[in-house]
Amino acid sequence: MNNELKPQSAVQEAQTRAFVGALQQGSQTYWDMVEIGDELSRDLHITPELVILYLDPVEDYNPWYEGWRMNSWHIDGESPFGGAIVPPLLVSHFVLSVQFDHTKPFAIGSIHTFHDSEILEPIPVGATVRITTRAIDKYEKRGRRYVRHEVHVTDTATGMLYFREVRDILSL
Amino acid sequence: MASQNGLNLDSLRITPETPVGYELQPIKKKAAIQLMGSRVWGRFNPNHWDPDYARSTGLTDPIQTGEMSSAYISEMCVNHFGAAMFKNARIVCKYIASTIANEVIVTGGVITEKTPKGNGFRFRADIWAANEAGEKKTVGWVEADVGV
Repeated sequence: MNNELKPQSAVQEAQTRAFVGALQQGSQTYWDMVEIGDELSRDLHITPELVILYLDPVEDYNPWYEGWRMNSWHIDGESPFGGAIVPPLLVSHFVLSVQFDHTKPFAIGSIHTFHDSEILEPIPVGATVRITTRAIDKYEKRGRRYVRHEVHVTDTATGMLYFREVRDILSL
Repeated sequence: MASQNGLNLDSLRITPETPVGYELQPIKKKAAIQLMGSRVWGRFNPNHWDPDYARSTGLTDPIQTGEMSSAYISEMCVNHFGAAMFKNARIVCKYIASTIANEVIVTGGVITEKTPKGNGFRFRADIWAANEAGEKKTVGWVEADVGV
């Protein structure tokens, strides 16, 4: 179907339907995927390019975050902490790729509803961080099912705790 | 530093002298479907970018990830708190309604508390993101240390 929001040719439309079909295969609800106490952890290298990929769709052009610039490419950048730093909630965004077990089909239909985020120390662009999530509660409220996680983000080289969070996902 | 529209960007910064009741300057963004479906944002879930799929699940149109409104609010907070947003800060957001593709989202905030801490204050502000009709999509609060 052509749509004002997303004009597409027949080829693009077929590619879209194939992509969406693949996403749905074997998918479970998030409620059924998670048990309280489940802990998952992955390391994320926060490259200058990843920071740009995060920032451009939200149209945030603060120069403190730039460790990559067109024409110059990799640069040290400048911020009040020295070189380029990571936006305050970038690591929060990538928690999703940890708490949803990436070895299983993604539980589409889930909705992120809440986060309580503590930004403890600035993260330099180029750092590798370990994101660890632990399911701490599953609860129902007004007929809806929620899964609550606690999150810790540390530097893999120094062990510094950069970020801590509690977050809820509404499951189908 | 005054911009061409006369807004003094340096004057946005919250200082120990900033009073309770001070209003944060808004950020305005359009929920463009092409941005909502980008790879590191909503691509993994077609409810964020595919009109056909979204309608099959009962939505009128694709909805933005809540975290995009958190990013908008965070941008506003960095404009006002500067470096204080990166050390011992806290931001809490609750997504209370969906942002629909093509809506224009405007952030807002107001300082509600300032508590003495060290040589400065720990500030607290209510924060939100709403559409142009004023319907709130995300609400919460932020805390940061200024001059501590």
